[in-house]
Amino acid sequence: MAPLPERTRVAGRSSVSSPDASPPQPGFSANGSTIRRMPPDRRLNPSERVSLVAEILSSYLRARKALRVTSIEPAVAALRGGVPPYAAEHVDAQTLTEARRLGRAVQMTLTLLPGDKRCLARSLVLTQLLAKRRISAKLVIGARTAPSFLAHAWVEHAGHPVLPVGDGSFGRLVEL
Amino acid sequence: MAPDTTVPQTSLLPTSSIKVPRHVVYRSFPSETVVLNLETGKYHGLNATAGSMLEALESAASVHDAAILLAGRYAQSEEVVERDMCELCNALLERGLIEVDGGAAP
Repeated sequence: MAPLPERTRVAGRSSVSSPDASPPQPGFSANGSTIRRMPPDRRLNPSERVSLVAEILSSYLRARKALRVTSIEPAVAALRGGVPPYAAEHVDAQTLTEARRLGRAVQMTLTLLPGDKRCLARSLVLTQLLAKRRISAKLVIGARTAPSFLAHAWVEHAGHPVLPVGDGSFGRLVEL
Repeated sequence: MAPDTTVPQTSLLPTSSIKVPRHVVYRSFPSETVVLNLETGKYHGLNATAGSMLEALESAASVHDAAILLAGRYAQSEEVVERDMCELCNALLERGLIEVDGGAAP
């Protein structure tokens, strides 16, 4: 029988959703107040961009710290700040657009600046940003075995990827 | 009885039931089964045979029952399959990928 090879460690399952939490409707915060979504055609002004970059960096540092002290499942729960990863009942186009914009912002920011640029880091950062905006999201970890073993992480909102899923060859292992 | 992750004596395993803990997830691919331990962040690969064994162990009431299932499926001796399964269980237990739930001494 073949031995069990140990693969590359991934710093970074199972559902951490609270069964009693009822999901707020798209566009509404947990306490019922309206969350305004950014119009899809509106661009950020310079100060808003700086603010977003600062938020991304702050989230990145928080994600790194969380993974240092605990495993990925409680780390994701902590980074969500208690916002459950409920599944949206339907896709709100504006929310999805905003989630994708934030995903692109996270990718660009972490690519340009020194630090961990791996998929798990991006996914953890985006999970935080989306949770702060009460946008439901799941962090997905997948793997493939051919042509060689590789693991990948990404984020989805209502089943739609908001970070790159790779070349489509990754089978899902777990959703957090 | 609380699940036990310590490595039990080989003689105890056939009557034990095996459980995959909540923090372990796995998926079968054509060439191997990938197992991820969410607590350690480590991935493990099982060949096709070991992957089939893991699936059988998780669904069967005991290691012995799982061995009977696979022995019939692959037309192999139950004793050989059970022995190999016990070896696999020990390896998986060492890595924290399964838990032993009960089981009586012979």
